Formats: sequence, C-alpha cells, structure tokens
Amino acid sequence: MKELLQVNGLVKAFGQAQAVKGISFHIQEGRCTALLGPNGAGKTTTIRMLTGLLKPTAGSIQFHGLRAGEDRRSLLGYLPQSPAFHNWMSGMEYVVYAGRLCGLSPAEAKQRAKELLERVGLAEAAKRRIGGYSGGMKQRLGLAQALVHRPKLLVMDEPVSALDPIGRREVLGLLKELKSETTVLFSTHVLHDAEELCDDVIIIRSGQVALQGALPQIRSEHRRPIIELKLEEHAPSLEWAAGFEQRTSADERLSATIEEIERQGTMLRLTVKDMDKARQALTEELAKEKVRFSRLEAGYSSLEDLFMKVVGE
Amino acid sequence: MSAVKLMTLVRKEWLEQLRSFKLIWIPLVFALLGIMQPLTNYYMPVIIEKAGNMPEGAVIEMPVPSGAEVLAGTLSQFGMIGLLILALAFMGAVSGDRNSGAASLVLVKPVSFLSFILSKWLGMMTLLWGALLIGYAASWYYTWLLFETVDFAPFLLSYVLYGLWFTFILTAVLLFSTLLRSAAGAAFSALGLALLLTALSGIAPKYMGWSPSSLTGFAYEAVQGGFDASASFGWSIGVTILLIAAGIAGSSALLRRQPALD
Repeated sequence: MKELLQVNGLVKAFGQAQAVKGISFHIQEGRCTALLGPNGAGKTTTIRMLTGLLKPTAGSIQFHGLRAGEDRRSLLGYLPQSPAFHNWMSGMEYVVYAGRLCGLSPAEAKQRAKELLERVGLAEAAKRRIGGYSGGMKQRLGLAQALVHRPKLLVMDEPVSALDPIGRREVLGLLKELKSETTVLFSTHVLHDAEELCDDVIIIRSGQVALQGALPQIRSEHRRPIIELKLEEHAPSLEWAAGFEQRTSADERLSATIEEIERQGTMLRLTVKDMDKARQALTEELAKEKVRFSRLEAGYSSLEDLFMKVVGE
Repeated sequence: MSAVKLMTLVRKEWLEQLRSFKLIWIPLVFALLGIMQPLTNYYMPVIIEKAGNMPEGAVIEMPVPSGAEVLAGTLSQFGMIGLLILALAFMGAVSGDRNSGAASLVLVKPVSFLSFILSKWLGMMTLLWGALLIGYAASWYYTWLLFETVDFAPFLLSYVLYGLWFTFILTAVLLFSTLLRSAAGAAFSALGLALLLTALSGIAPKYMGWSPSSLTGFAYEAVQGGFDASASFGWSIGVTILLIAAGIAGSSALLRRQPALD
C-alpha cells in the first residue's frame, strides 16, 4: 500500500493558546480515514492546515506523488462543514466554475459537472440558483465541486453534522460509494459515522493524537471482556451489590479476575481480566447470596466505550 | 498564475455584477449625473427665476459657462457622488467573500492569491472605466447640444486622468476590504483617504503636487485646455501608478497571510 500523505508534528497556536499540539499521522492511498474527536479537539484546525487555508505554526505536511513545483491544492478536494457558494449562481455554473479553476478545459469541465451533478442527485436542480437549495443539497453540491478535478485526497470537515437525518443518510450513502474511488479523510465527532465508513481512525483529544490505527485492529486490541448485571429493585440485592463492589478491591481472589466495577443504580458493569474465572466467581456469589437479578450478560466492550474512555480522560 | 484561471475568475466577477444589476445601475447613475450637469447649468437662470423668492425687479445676469467649464463641473460631480457610489458598490469585494466562506472554497483550489485579488480589481476597473466613460460622454454630448463643442483630445485626457484617480481610490477600497472584516469600514476608510488627500492638496498645493489627488486638478486643467505638463504632473502619475501596484500586491499578501477568516 502506498502512502499518500504524511503529517509530522503539526502545531497551530492562536496567540498563547495551542489549538493543535503536535499531531503526526499518515494516510495510505485508497483508505478512508476519520479524524475523530470531541468538539474543540482541533479537528477543524488540523483540516484547515491540510488544505492550506491556515498556516501551521510548526510541523510539515508532505504529499507523496507531488511533482516538483506542483501545487498541493491540485491534489485536494475540500468540503467545509457548511460550504458557502455564490447564491446567484446555478449549481451547474458553480461546478463548471470550480472545474475551470482546477485547470479543466471548458468542455471537460462541463462534462464533469454534468456527471457529478447526476451522481450526487442534483441533475434536476442543476439549473436552479444555489440560493434556493436546502442544506442537504448544498452539501451534495459541495461534494460535486470538491470532486470535479478527480482529487487524490478528498478532505471533509464534519460532512454530515449540520444535516437533518434525511440529508445525513443521503450524504453518508454517497460517501460510501465514493470511498472506493478515492482516498478520503473526514472529521467527525460522531463515532457511529466513523465506524460505518472508515478503515482507519485517528482519535484526537485537546490537540493531540490519543489513538490511531486501523479500525478492526483498534477494536481487537482494545476489546475487553465485560459482564453486565441488572438487578431488581430489591433492597438486600442492592446492598449486596454495594458490598460486592467494596469487597472486590479488597479480596485478592476477586481483584485478580475483575479489573473494574461500575455501579449505576441497578446496573453493575464489570470489566474482567479472565472471563471464565470471573463468570464462575460471580455466579457462585449470586447463588449463595440469593441475589435477584433480571439480566446477566457477558460480552465485549464496544468502540464507543473505548472512545468515551480515550476522550473522557 | 495562469491567465486562463484569472479570466475564469474575472468572468465570474462580471456575471456577479450582471446578476446583482451593478452592471446596469452604476453606469445609469453615471449617465444621469453626466446629463444633469449641462442641463442644470443651462436652465439655471430659469430655475432661479421660477424659484420665486427673488426681490421684485431683480435682474439676473449670469455669464454663460464655457463647454469646458461644464465638463469640469461634471467631473467634480463624479468625484463626489460617483466615487461614493463606486466605493459603496465594491466595499465588500473581498471581505464579503471571506466572511461568507465563499473565498475559502475558491482558495483551496490551485488558484494563486494574486489571481484572486487581480480578478476583483479587474472587475472593478471594467465597471469604473466603463461607467465613467458613459457618464462623461453623455455629459460631453449634452454640452455640445446646449453649449458648445469641446475638443476630443482634452476630453479624453481629462477622462484618463480622472479615471486614474478613481482607480487609485478603488484600489484602496480593495486593500481595506482585504484588511478589514467590515465592508462599511472599508468604504469609509477609502473615502476618508480620498477626502484627506484632497484636503491636503487644497491646503498645500505646492507640496502635494506628487499626490494622486492632484490628478483631479490636472484633469480640470486638461479639459479647459490650459494644461501644461509640469514636473509635478509626472510625479503624481508615477506615484499613483506605484501606489496602485503596491495596493494590489499588499492585498494579495494580506490574503496569503490569512486566506480565510472563519
């Protein structure tokens, strides 16, 4: 697999505050990568530095396969969070205009614009003024104009965050098709979107990379066995739960198998080291104490748990 | 910088001017201003008579202005109202696109910053020189109808000199519109600069001969035929052209330093 983009020690300071504190990552050709993080983590700042809209305070951004003297921007397609067009233009005019600015010939630009508008489902509205487009239509037009010159890397900033559920579905569907054709990097604060679309994730937190890698790999590396236990509203059972939580940290046999206990109301959530031993110990305990539970479930932690853990710290 | 991309950007500016009707109403206003001056000059005695607040038996004697004087009057009308209208029409040239985010969509494409600024400037220039020509020619025609012919050469020379002064101020509008977020701030900074330079030229004409604002004086002289190319004429033209080039380069540098505001 070929490397397309290499980012090294990227820093951006606004006055005293550092929005991005030394981010390094690389993107492989043909992969779809999500820049994942909570609001204010520095996702947008990072993306704007990649597109050249913002000058990095320090660090380097390297594109492989860039000929000497070639503009980095000619390999990039960029879709901002809420793209602003000229409202007095029609959708068709705008995509042709974008194509011409990327160096396509008039005929080529027109041809591409037609194809892309068809592709993003705006063929009907192509001749209408952009001023009358809905949010979802503008986002799809944004995709069309970003793709007009067949960029090597499509960069998107929160492509679906500002959309209603229908617009979201439309755009996510399009992205699923597109990712097989080009390399994609997008930022999001919604884990679900990243899981649905991406091969790789880069989780960033307060301007730093907290975790990065291929999604299946991260999933298997950070997957922990857990047991969830739901109790009935029954005083002795609840008392047992409180006692069990305390005993776990003191008792050597229990703390060897159970790593962590979280108790929320009638829910107990056990992160365990050895599933078999923990299951054994717990069921014995439940039978002995006659605990009234309504549900007992053994499974694995989800990516969401990992995300919350990484981001929440 | 590629000429094809620059032309694409300029064509977009023209289309915008057309769709926002600037391409129509600005030349119209200039034509109106141009026609008004000879008309009011011609009918002034009648207007004053009909105004009716003259004492009984007063005899109004007004010297009939020469054609050149009428045209000079037209230019000074353009210099006030025309300049105000142009500055207001273009005050958001860069800041508008930057504030809305439309500029960032263009500037992530392989387009040079200078092309972006130059396209705005060329868009302004075609409208400015066109509107000024239409207005001034209309005034010339009506002056010929109502007063006398003014030779073509002085007419043309005064047009070019006045146009150069306008070019200077509109370049300042462009620069301030790149520097400031506020469109109104850009218009008033540029108009303030125009006022300041004009006032300084009025107070100390001897020392301000090099200033772009003295071009207006040269234009009045040129149309009235009493023009002799003094040393300061060359200076003011040179300085003006230099400042215009510096304004464009400065705007481009400002844009490069911070392509997007949001």
